[in-house]
Formats: sequence, C-alpha cells, structure tokens
Amino acid sequence: MAWHDADSWLTLAFAPHPGTLALALLVVIALPILLHAYIYRRRAPDSFPTFLLVGPSGAGKTSLLTLLSHGAPSATHTSSTPTAASLTLPITTTPASSRYRSNNDPSADRARKFRLLDTPGHGKLRHYALSSLTKTSPGGALKGIIFVLDAAALGEDAGAAETGEYLHDVLLLLQKRHTGNKTSKGPAAIPVLVAANKMDLFTALPQSLVKLRLEKAVEEVRKTRGRALKDSGIELSAGDGEEEEREGLADGYEGTFGFKMLEDSDIEVKVAGGSVKGDKGEGADVQEWWGWVAEQL
Amino acid sequence: MLDTFEILSTSGVVLWSRTYVPVHSYVINSLIREVLIEERTNKVAYGDGTTKPTYRKDGYIMKWNLAKDFGLIFVAVYQSLVHLTWIDKLIDNVSALFTGLYGEQLKGETSNAKFPFDPYFDREMQRVEASNDTSTSSAFEVTSNTEFTPPSSSGTDHGADEPPPMPGLRKATAPQKPIYNPDTSTDATPVPTPDTSRPSTPASRILTGKTRPGSKPSRRDRKVKAAENSAPASSGDETSARKGKAAGKQKKNRVWNEFGADEEDKSINLDYSTVSANDPADFELPDAINPESWGRTTGKGQFVLKDLDEEMDEIIASANAKKESSTAAGGIVGSSLGAIGGLFRNVVGGKTLTKEDLEKPLKGMEDHLLKKNVAREAAVRLCDSVERDLIGLKTNSFTTIESTLRTAMERALTKILTPTSSLDLLREISTVTSTNRPYVLSIVGVNGVGKSTNLSKIAFFLLQNHHRVLIAAADTFRSGAVEQLRVHVRNLKELSKREGGEVDIFEKGYGKDAANIAADAVTFAKENKYDVVLIDTAGRRHNDARLMSSLEKFAKLAKPDKILMVGEALVGSDAVAQARNFNNSFGAGRGLDGFVISKCDTVGDMVGTLVSMVHATGIPVVFLGVGQHYADLRGLNVGSVCRLLMS
Ligand SMILES: Nc1nc2c(ncn2[C@@H]2O[C@H](COP(=O)(O)OP(=O)(O)OP(=O)(O)O)[C@@H](O)[C@H]2O)c(=O)[nH]1
Ligand SMILES: [Mg+2]
Repeated sequence: MAWHDADSWLTLAFAPHPGTLALALLVVIALPILLHAYIYRRRAPDSFPTFLLVGPSGAGKTSLLTLLSHGAPSATHTSSTPTAASLTLPITTTPASSRYRSNNDPSADRARKFRLLDTPGHGKLRHYALSSLTKTSPGGALKGIIFVLDAAALGEDAGAAETGEYLHDVLLLLQKRHTGNKTSKGPAAIPVLVAANKMDLFTALPQSLVKLRLEKAVEEVRKTRGRALKDSGIELSAGDGEEEEREGLADGYEGTFGFKMLEDSDIEVKVAGGSVKGDKGEGADVQEWWGWVAEQL
Repeated sequence: MLDTFEILSTSGVVLWSRTYVPVHSYVINSLIREVLIEERTNKVAYGDGTTKPTYRKDGYIMKWNLAKDFGLIFVAVYQSLVHLTWIDKLIDNVSALFTGLYGEQLKGETSNAKFPFDPYFDREMQRVEASNDTSTSSAFEVTSNTEFTPPSSSGTDHGADEPPPMPGLRKATAPQKPIYNPDTSTDATPVPTPDTSRPSTPASRILTGKTRPGSKPSRRDRKVKAAENSAPASSGDETSARKGKAAGKQKKNRVWNEFGADEEDKSINLDYSTVSANDPADFELPDAINPESWGRTTGKGQFVLKDLDEEMDEIIASANAKKESSTAAGGIVGSSLGAIGGLFRNVVGGKTLTKEDLEKPLKGMEDHLLKKNVAREAAVRLCDSVERDLIGLKTNSFTTIESTLRTAMERALTKILTPTSSLDLLREISTVTSTNRPYVLSIVGVNGVGKSTNLSKIAFFLLQNHHRVLIAAADTFRSGAVEQLRVHVRNLKELSKREGGEVDIFEKGYGKDAANIAADAVTFAKENKYDVVLIDTAGRRHNDARLMSSLEKFAKLAKPDKILMVGEALVGSDAVAQARNFNNSFGAGRGLDGFVISKCDTVGDMVGTLVSMVHATGIPVVFLGVGQHYADLRGLNVGSVCRLLMS
C-alpha cells in the first residue's frame, strides 16, 4: 500500500490512535530520563587530571602519596596493588590554568583538584604502571608522570641500574606513543618529573649529580637493549613472518643519551630533588614537586 | 612474645599497627615480596593444614591473613624462638573485627582514614591469651606488672606436656578448674590437670595458687584500666543506653557459663586478702556470669568494657556466620528466584563469586592448560591460586564468570612469567668484566635436550657483540661430546670472522673430573683475557642421584656467575621434577639462575612447559630456542606466551 493510503503507517502515526499516543507519551517521559542518565554517567567518574606515580620499589611513591593526601607520611610497605587519591593543591601554589583568576573565585577550587595514581614498583608488577601509560585512563586525562627514585640508591651501581632500566622503559613507551601516532597533531604530550627522593639522607646523591647519573644509567640500558636478542613474539605466534622494526630510545641520535634528545618526541623531563620524610623531624621538602604539578594543571 | 601486629592495605599503606618491639620494615617487606608477590612457595612452611602457614626471615616468624575483598593484609611478627599458639586465632579475630568495624570506610579511599582500633585490639589480645591459658612462667610474671603483655603459651592441648601439680596445690586448684578452663573441661581432661597459667618457680606457684580465689579486687583494677583504655571508643551516654542490652546478651555469647555458675561465689569468698592475682582466664569469666552485680560494684567504666566486648563478639560472630553462609549458599540457590537471579547476574555481572560458581569453569580452565602442555601440578596450583583470588569478588558489569576467570588467569600467568629483575645478559657481562675477571656461564640439563646447541647459540650471540668467548668442554662423559663442540667452535669462528669476536675451545679429553676442567678453564680465561667462559656439562637424568651430586662440586669449583638449565619444550609433566631437582642440586645457597627452553618451534602453541618450569621454581626463562640455526635464540615475550596459552 502507498504511504498516502488511508490505513498506511504514516496516516496512522498522525491519527489520534491510542497506540500512537501511548508511544508519544512514553518518548516524552523517558527521553529526559535517559538523557540525564547518559550525561550523568559520562561525567560521573570525575574527570580530574591524573598524575601517575612510577619508580622502582622502595623509592617512596606510597609515602609521597600519603604525605600529599594527609599531611604526614604514614608507615608503608611494599605495594602490591595500585591505589589512587584525590588531592587538592595547597593554597600557596596556583595552578597554571588559573593564574589570572581571583583567589576567591569558587571555580578555582575545582581547578586545584587532581588525582594521583600510585603503582607498585616491584619488577613483576610494573605492568600496572606501564599499561596505564599506554591506555587512556578512565578517570580524566593523564597530565604527567612523576618518576620517584631513591637518590641514595642511585649512588650505588645496582640501584642506578634498576632505576635506569625502569626510567628507560617508561621513556621508551612515551616515545612509542608519540611515533606510533598516526594523526598529524599527535597525542597530548605527557611531561615527566623525575623526583629524586630521600634527599634528607646524607648518602643521597647531590641534586646536581642526579641527572647526570640517570642519563648515564639510561644510556647503559639503551646500549645493551639495542644489541639484545629479539624476543619471541613473532616466532611463537605462528607467523605472518613480518618482522617488526625494533624501536630504541632516541634512535636517531649518536653519542651518549641525554634527556634533551627526547624533546623531538615531545617528552619533557624535569629533575627535581626533595624528600618525603623531613630532615630530623623537620617537615618534608616537596615544594618543587608541587610547583611542577601546578604547572601542569 | 608478639613483636608487631600490622594491618596494611595491599597498596602498601600501614593502616594500623601495634608495636611491642620495633621490627625493621624490610622484614614485612620481604614477606610481601617473596610470598605475596613472587609466590615462592618453597619459602613458606605450610604446617599440617590446621594452622596458618608461616614465613621465616632473619629470626622472625610471620603469620598473616589476607582479606582480599578489602585489600587488607594482617601480619603478626614474632621471634622465632617463642612459640605462640594463639596467634592464628588472634589474626582471624582481628581480621573479622577490623573488617567488620571499618568495612564501609575501607571501601573508599583509605589513605585518609583513621582507625581507632587500639581498644579492640587490646581486648582481643586479652581474650585470646585468656582462652589459651597454658602460659609459661616468664610471660606470666610480666603480665602481673605491665598493663598489657601477651604471654606466650606452650600449646593448646592443655596439660599434655605439663608436669604434675604440686601436691599442696592440688586441692585448691582442682575444684575450680571448670571456671578458669572452659576448654579443658569440654575436652574431658583428667581433673588433676593443672589449669591456668602456672609459674614454674615453686614460690610464685604457691602465691598464685593462693591468690586465685581472691581475684576479685585485681580483676576490678584491670577492668578499670582496660576501660580507660577503651574510653575513646564510646561515649558515656551511649554506654548507659546500652547497659541493659549488654547484660541480656552477654549470656548468649558464652556457652560455657553454666560450668562456673555456682562455684562463682565460692571462689570469691575464699580469700580476699591477696591482691596480686592476674589470671587472665579467671578475670574474664565472672562478668559473663553475673553482669548486673558486677556492674553495680564497679560502676560505669566497666560497662564500657562490656559494651566493647559484646560488640566484638557480635562482629566476630557475624563474620563467621557470613563465612558459613557463603559456603552454604551454593546449596540454597536451588530456589528458583535465586537461580534466575544468579543466571541473570552471570550474564550482566555484579555477581559475587562462590566456590560453586567457579568449580566448573575452573575445571575447564585446568583442562585447557593441560592441553597446552602445562604439567598437572602447575595447572592445579595455578587454578587454586586463581580461585583463591576470585572467591568473594564481584564480577564487573557485563562480564561473565568465564571471562572474569580468563582475565584472572591471564594476570596470574603474566605475573609468574615476568621476571623479578631484568635479564640483561650483556649488561651483566660488562659489569663483571670491568672487574678484570671473565664472566662464567654454565649450562646443565638432562640428556639430549640441546645443551651444546644452545650453548653455541649463546656463544654466537656474544660473538656478535664482540666478546672474546672461551668454550669449555666439561662433558667428559659422553663420547663425541668434545668433537661436537669442536665443530661448533669451528663454525662459529667462520661466522664471526667479520664481526670481530673471538672464540676458542678449552678441552682436556675424556674421563677427567668435570669440575676441575671447568675451574681450569676459568683460570685459563682469566690469564688470557677472555670476556666470557661458557661451560658445557654432561647431560644427566635428574633422578640419578650420583651424577646430580657431582653438580655441587662443580658449582663450588667453577663458581659460575650464571647457571642456566636447558629444558625441552616437548617435555610435558616431567618438567616440574626436572626443574626442581636441578635447582636443588648445587648445594645450599646456590640454585639455577634461569631456563633456556629449547625446540619451541616444534610445539606450536603448546608452550606450557615454560609455565611448569617457572612455576615449580620461581626461576625465569631467559632464552627460547626457536630453530636449528645459530641465530635462532630469542628472549621471552611474556605477552605473546600468555596469549598463546589462553588462545
Ligand atoms: N629517609 C627517607 N626515607 C624515605 C623517604 N621517603 C620514603 N622513605 C622510606 O622509604 C621506604 C619505602 O617507601 P614506600 O613509599 O613504601 O616505597 P614505594 O615507592 O611505594 O615502594 P613500592 O610500593 O614497593 O613500589 C619507607 O620505609 C619510607 O619510610 C624520604 O624522603 N627520606
Ligand atoms: Mg608503594
């Protein structure tokens, strides 16, 4: 039957038919509810900017998290699961985005809020950190990575090796994220703060040396990684023979590694010293780190 | 003596702790690392199944309990010299109490929360030590002058190993036994068995024997003290409001009331003169029997205590009830509504997993792993640990049990296969050679798994990285072994001419002692500035005790920096025993450092051997052999192996 017939569906839809009325009523009532639910759901996981705490085990990540979330570091042990805390910047630091706002602006308070994600540093559990780097986190954009390290351990070879390795892996992932991106604009850059913790200890490497030592450690990893065996990925997956090009950290550069080499890949690395636990009962020294966080907000 | 009791979250934050003697934090850290993260089962003593497993570290014993659904770890640390039998009970009760009290708070962000748990813990401590009243003398004496110290006790089965009581005392103590010692009375222990905490010196024994009946005043003292302790837990109003309730309920909770009911008065009237008895068992009983009268004499403070007591009992009881109902739930789900709801939730998610839910999918998972050539022992243990992880968890929305199980299993496999520390061979070599000695790597394994072949592959890899390599032929047993290596070395020389590496063979013919040859090779390499010594050893059956025992001498003389074991990917269920026996054959303090899994190209996706070997020993896979050529050596890609295993 044609659409202009007397009993076609179109005619019916415009006729005062009880079914049509019921349907219309249903749509009118349900639509706002569904819409509300939809929008509310989308906004519900408060999309605060997120910062990721990474670093080798025992560096002081969890201590830092507890210090920032309730003023004093609590006793900690090796973490085996990640954890998150919502934090607010202290009044004394102003986030970069609200530099021009009045202090009394109520929206300034919201701009100060952020989420800090602590991850375990144990060798077997680093996938928590590395996977939250690659996939976009559910609650809010990843605004920065805080790589916490133990400045006292960095003075020893074993500690430096472990730290260098982890930092290398993190930086390589960030670089891959940049090169793997196909769109012209590229993903938003994720800056890295290397927080040299435990500066209160007298065995700690002085701040001026931390950066040099780290670069050397990363360079060592970079050197051996480039020559290491390929891994088993292709052979075992019964396969489509195509060999993946192995990407190394700062491949295009000759000479020893420096954090500057990463600027091409939009990775900004800043090294700052501090301590979660104060010097003989004095307060903790995290001002510089707070300042960095504020800059990213 | 308990040294420390800590309640910490799995994210590493100590939520509450009680320290009697400070314990360095590395002690608990190593528990978390070795047992909870790395799951090194060989470090844990499991006991007979009735008690909790124990972990020892540097003179400490640790016992722990995990509350998975809250992400909490309860750890008790004490010196390994003392023997505390009530620890298990304490840990269980404290777990129940803590999760019962702060369950809601724990669901949120815990880093900010405060847990005023002190009074509860103190009280619980008193209760468990009271119920386990065979204390040793030293602890007992301490109890009498400190506010609160746990006595160490020698055993739950009362009287079994105790000396007979002093004749003079028997009369005084025996009739009262049921009062103090509810446990023994139900166990039908012979009457003369000495009861509660009996000091070992005769003098103090007499003292306590006499004073026990007149324990009333001291009891009151203690209570007041305890009440002061617990004061912050509840305000005055609250307590008086609850007074009646407390009195009524108390009787229900103590089943053993009747035992001492009529002897109560007698014990009080006997002697009022001495004030010093501090028998913990004795002290608890009367207020259970006759709360009203005690309330009158001691006043307000005491009711705070009782309130706490009752509250604690309720929480513990409800926790136990929950445990029971959750195990029983499977049977009840027969009701149609429950079944439909369960079915629905199975599809939509949000279902709390029980043992019954998991049984069938787990069986399927186990079969799947077995098909992938994972040894049965490893498959069963993996499934068990995944089951332990999942029971009591809620499935996420829109996930079925099966997919939840899959992700859990994948996570478990990833965790097992991921090495604890990096396996960068080149790096290790350069660290060692910088100290002017060669890096020594030796290879062991059963016959015919491809030791020499994989050794040459490793040599080839090192040659490509411009190292000077010396290959030591320490297989002086099988005829043709030395010749085989000679051929390999000739080939390698040919191949590496252009690369700039250098390779030679160190041989001493057949029949000599392998350990000596290895040691000589190392000395020779040091004199001649080789970077790396690769030692080939004779193949041996892992159950041949004579041959295996020679490995210990070998490890001692050659002092290899790294000992790798070659295992075939085809081996199947024998993998576990092989890995374990080789790992244990090098003497105390030395084990394997890694596995080389050969012939991986021949098994397709049945790469279960990797899992079996790693699971049995906690030692990582360093290399995979994937073909016949020198270049066919690979590092392990954990992700791809897990995908293969789960496919
Ligand atoms: N002296 C000193 N000690 C610190 C400082 N920060 C942390 N610590 C100590 O370092 C130890 C380890 O700190 P955690 O915060 O648990 O380390 P983590 O990085 O979370 O380690 P994982 O959870 O294992 O990855 C703790 O015992 C802290 O007390 C500091 O600034 N100075
Ligand atoms: Mg931590």
